[in-house]
Amino acid sequence: MFSWQTQPLTGFNFIGMVIGAVVVLALLLLIVMYLIFFLRKVVAWMQNRIGPNRVGPWGLFQSMADVLKLLLKEDIVPENADRALFMIAPIIAFVPAFMVLAVIPYTATHIFTAGLNIGVLYYIALSSITILGIVLGGWASNNKYSLVGGLRSAAQMISYEIPLGMSVLGVVMLAGTLNLTTIVQQQATDRFGWYIIPQIIGFVVFMIAAIAELNQTPFDLPEAESELVAGYFTEYTGFRFAFFMLTEFVYLFAISALATTLFLGGWLGPWLPSWLWFAIKTSAVIFFMFWVRASMPRIRTDLLMGLAWKVLIPVALFNILLTGLLSLLL
Amino acid sequence: MFGIIKGLGVTLGQLTKKKVTLQYPDVKPVWPERFRGIHEFIPELCIVCNQCARICPTDCISLSGSRDANKKMRIDTYDINFEICILCDLCVEVCPTEAILMTDQFELAAYSRDEFYKDMHWLYDNHKEHGTYKALQAAKEQAAQELAARESGSAKETETGGEA
Repeated sequence: MFSWQTQPLTGFNFIGMVIGAVVVLALLLLIVMYLIFFLRKVVAWMQNRIGPNRVGPWGLFQSMADVLKLLLKEDIVPENADRALFMIAPIIAFVPAFMVLAVIPYTATHIFTAGLNIGVLYYIALSSITILGIVLGGWASNNKYSLVGGLRSAAQMISYEIPLGMSVLGVVMLAGTLNLTTIVQQQATDRFGWYIIPQIIGFVVFMIAAIAELNQTPFDLPEAESELVAGYFTEYTGFRFAFFMLTEFVYLFAISALATTLFLGGWLGPWLPSWLWFAIKTSAVIFFMFWVRASMPRIRTDLLMGLAWKVLIPVALFNILLTGLLSLLL
Repeated sequence: MFGIIKGLGVTLGQLTKKKVTLQYPDVKPVWPERFRGIHEFIPELCIVCNQCARICPTDCISLSGSRDANKKMRIDTYDINFEICILCDLCVEVCPTEAILMTDQFELAAYSRDEFYKDMHWLYDNHKEHGTYKALQAAKEQAAQELAARESGSAKETETGGEA
């Protein structure tokens, strides 16, 4: 059933693909719901309070109640807003988030993974399309706060994409391939262990650039509630707002999965089944991002760009140089 | 750079500390003694001096009294229009006999505005349920006991004094 690439497309295969996509989407929604719950709990515990604990046992149905509330809200499109763009923007923002999950190896048997030989490039290229959706959302809302939020977001995300890509180059040089599955397999036999150890500088740059890509605190200027109302999604209500939130959390999951694959050895590990190792490592990366979110204040607008261009890019370039040199010498 | 790591360490340390949240409707907070909730009224102590009605900034107190057989003023009606009461505590401050006090009740949501016009009977019931009724009764009993002890003590003295 999974040799669809080598067969011509029949109706049966097509329906199978659609069903597969729907199943993955449903699973993803469940994961995102519990990521949001996990976020609220972690941030609350770090602030000496309990998170949601009333709805359902231990508050587990809180996310479901929130999603239901968002779905039942009135769908408002501002009068002078560009209607077509306003409606398309959340879709353009969300679809790449969903698509990048195809290349990440979740288990040792790669049942759900597309074995693309350009996996890393696919990921980074698609995550750039989300920026378009965000800028469109900011522009089409016909609201100065949204516009400023959208432009800030575009500037930030584009600037931080460059160190994100460069930090991965060190890993690609060590592994010799862009295929994510092969990168994980190489980490099993690499003489320095998982790539976080030889590529520690690359890992640090990757984490900082990843948090900036996701518009998470400390880089959440585009959604700064105290400054911009809600930034680029001020005018979005109900289901469309849920779309933007969904995009953010799906990207959170996707980038943590990418970090696990590239630096932490994917599904590798003794005793436990491979998908469980993957889940543990991804959860650790996600917890780290939530921990940073609960601990740090926002970065100033003028220092934000300086950090990307003047600090992270030179460090990433230095990492590439160092990796090249040491690969030759060692 | 290391400031960030120290900061992260502090936040991680908070995970194990005690939480300060109260599970509100099940667990009520403990209010300080001077908390300003809705009033309680003790008609026996009121001397109908009208100071509370005069000082109220929103004129929400209205009262009426009359002279009784001993030429003392007794209170007949005492109403607080709680819709406009701002819970400022001035009426309590100015009362010379502490006939009007404030309790710690604030959960007073109702379905109709009529319920917010509190009269003397409601305020006296509030005194008995949530106010200082018990404390006053206990004080009265203790005073009565002390008085009885002193009288019996002095009675014994006069007896012994008389005998000796």
